[in-house]
Amino acid sequence: MLLDRCGDTMNRETPEIDFSFVLASSVHDMKNSLGMLLNTLTDVMQKYPPSDAAHAKSYAVLEYEAARVNSELIQLLSLYRLDHDQIRVHIDECIVVDLLNEQVARNCEVFQTRDIQLSLVCDESLIGYVDGDLVSGVINNMLVNCARYSRAALIMSAEQTPDGLCITIDDDGPGYPEDMLNASTYAESRSSFAGGRPHLGLLFANKVALMHENKSKRGFIRLTNDSCLGGGRFRLYLP
Amino acid sequence: MPGNPYEKIQALVIDDFENFRNTVSKMLQIFGIRNVDSAATGAEALRYCASKVYDVILCDQNLGKGKSGQQILEVLRHKPSLNSDSLFVLISAETNKSIIMAAYDYEPDAYLTKPITSQALEQRLQRLFAQRLALMPIHKAMKEEKIDEAIALCKKKIADADRFAGICQKMLGRLLLDSGRYEEAESIYRELLEVRQLDWAMLGMALAKKNQGDSLSAQHWLEEILQLNPLCLKAYDTLAEIMRERGDFQSQQKIIQQAVDVSPLSILRQQILGDISLKNNDVLTAASAYRKAVKIGENSCFDNLDTHENFARAGVQLAKIDKVAAKPILRDALKVIADIPVNFGKNNANKVNSYLLESQLHMAASDERRSLEALGHAEKIIATHPPDLPIESKIEYVKTLREVGHQLEADNIIAELLAEYAADEQQLQKIDCLLDEPRSVKNKAVVAKVNKDGIAFYDAKDFVRAVECFSNALQDFPQHIGLRLNLVQALIGLSKQQADKTQSAIHIKNTLDTVRQMITERHPQFPRFRQLDDVLNAIS
Repeated sequence: MLLDRCGDTMNRETPEIDFSFVLASSVHDMKNSLGMLLNTLTDVMQKYPPSDAAHAKSYAVLEYEAARVNSELIQLLSLYRLDHDQIRVHIDECIVVDLLNEQVARNCEVFQTRDIQLSLVCDESLIGYVDGDLVSGVINNMLVNCARYSRAALIMSAEQTPDGLCITIDDDGPGYPEDMLNASTYAESRSSFAGGRPHLGLLFANKVALMHENKSKRGFIRLTNDSCLGGGRFRLYLP
Repeated sequence: MPGNPYEKIQALVIDDFENFRNTVSKMLQIFGIRNVDSAATGAEALRYCASKVYDVILCDQNLGKGKSGQQILEVLRHKPSLNSDSLFVLISAETNKSIIMAAYDYEPDAYLTKPITSQALEQRLQRLFAQRLALMPIHKAMKEEKIDEAIALCKKKIADADRFAGICQKMLGRLLLDSGRYEEAESIYRELLEVRQLDWAMLGMALAKKNQGDSLSAQHWLEEILQLNPLCLKAYDTLAEIMRERGDFQSQQKIIQQAVDVSPLSILRQQILGDISLKNNDVLTAASAYRKAVKIGENSCFDNLDTHENFARAGVQLAKIDKVAAKPILRDALKVIADIPVNFGKNNANKVNSYLLESQLHMAASDERRSLEALGHAEKIIATHPPDLPIESKIEYVKTLREVGHQLEADNIIAELLAEYAADEQQLQKIDCLLDEPRSVKNKAVVAKVNKDGIAFYDAKDFVRAVECFSNALQDFPQHIGLRLNLVQALIGLSKQQADKTQSAIHIKNTLDTVRQMITERHPQFPRFRQLDDVLNAIS
């Protein structure tokens, strides 16, 4: 006679995994490792300065890729939270030049190893009302991406406009491809892998911009190719 | 050669990874901060902090076992100490600072996200030092309680559109609130809110309204903040406070519960949740909250004896209504109680209380043998040190005797206590929880009011409120037969309004059974008890 399976009192349900916790935990671990990686790389670069162009290029690649992983992790965690945990945007005052300087400082090694000149143009007294953490993530992301495509120069600037605070990143690279200039591209939730350009990054930037709301005005992003340096221009507007 | 501006700066680096400590120390040395101490654990760090003033403390949030970065900050800020004003920079891998902020009660001066580059570190420290310098006159005025001077200095920076104008605006609002200038504070916040909805300005507005007695407006503002920012703990705390002031303890509990869900690691809120849910008769929530508070308390400076003892008491009460849910609680509580003398001092009062609560817990777990054994240990100490023991221990002794069924002894001790403290209003108030009818002036008035209010609800057929009113009072006066019979009547009224009477029927039966254990034929309320008992039999 077959055993009556219904009499089995063992709990068949697997415990539900709190993915939010898994994600945050994994990201924390990865960032710790990344920290170790970057610090060791700095030490190595100090002890063994590049002996030739190929050597210098290897260092540049290491720096860039590590920075890339870091910015993707930030983006990953932020996007997940914005969608699933319904993290709200937390607006507070910030001194814009400080926020931007911080992202520059975070990534200066990446630009140094690639011989890219990064300049910042922003009034010392410019105040912005933003979610500092999210906007930092977006700027960091854009800088790292631009580092890949720029030739020798990058200008980041910020000013108050009728549409709100505008942060601009101009590069001297080949410019953004046609499909990216179309605003609807980054409003889609399904990112495309064609072209290798960081559509996910723009999705993130767009989402963060939209979440900045003030008295019925919302933020937005614009991509154009009328950069003052001849390449692409990224603009982030926050009301 | 230009002087080193960081020559005199003293820094402390705290992280459990040696590698990280070395890296950060090196970074600091590179831009001129040469006096750097480093510690691997919270305990070590606090030892350093006890003997030296640091200008800046860089601390990782996650330090493995023992205190976390935030818990170290708690210790430094909670009581005035050498380093309560030191710049505290919390380092973590978390990018979203609202999440960390929500977890605890004290805010660091800055957050740094890993991985850290030396440029980022230098820049951040430069900004912090510059800010501290710029705001020093204001902080000095505040420390010396020269509020008007501080306010004037803030206003000047704001008028000058100084780069710290924003921070000064926050401080100005705070100063006006603290010094009672509520209308002025309100106008400042209103001006800001006309341009945009900043949650700190909304919070300020709520506080201004609350302090002017307009609790409804305050509530409206706070609820709006929580719609926009469900992580704003100050809003929950203020809202809970408003509910408490209104006497709406159920709502107070609901709000604290929401705050606890956002910040489960906040020991203070778990303790408050325990206290308020116990008061509201929600023993299950109370036991769970106290248990968490004890667990977090392992590393927190806010741990206290009451929380540990209340955990046990909640467990004992829970066992009376839900044996299954109580089982793990009782098991944990026994461990916690056994450790009380170790954690809070091996004095006689603690030892006695520990044994007494242990005895009650064993009884609740139906282990009579161990219960009597623990009681025996307690009695040995009581017999040899009667004068030392505070009244609270004697009260706990009476409760324990009742739990194990030694009614006569319990009654004898009560008689002794009443004789000794007959004229002492303070002590009588404490003894009242053991009595059927309170003896103290204060509690007689309290019970009279409860009856008045409860009966008013009953007459108006608001049976839910009547039940609540009597139940809450019974937490403080569990031996009061009159109140308990009033509760039964209110429950009967309630059940008549309900379609599904099963829950009420169970509650009525349990309550009458409790009275049955306590009452004697000679009691003035006995006839009433019999009458209600008959009603119960008629219902079931």
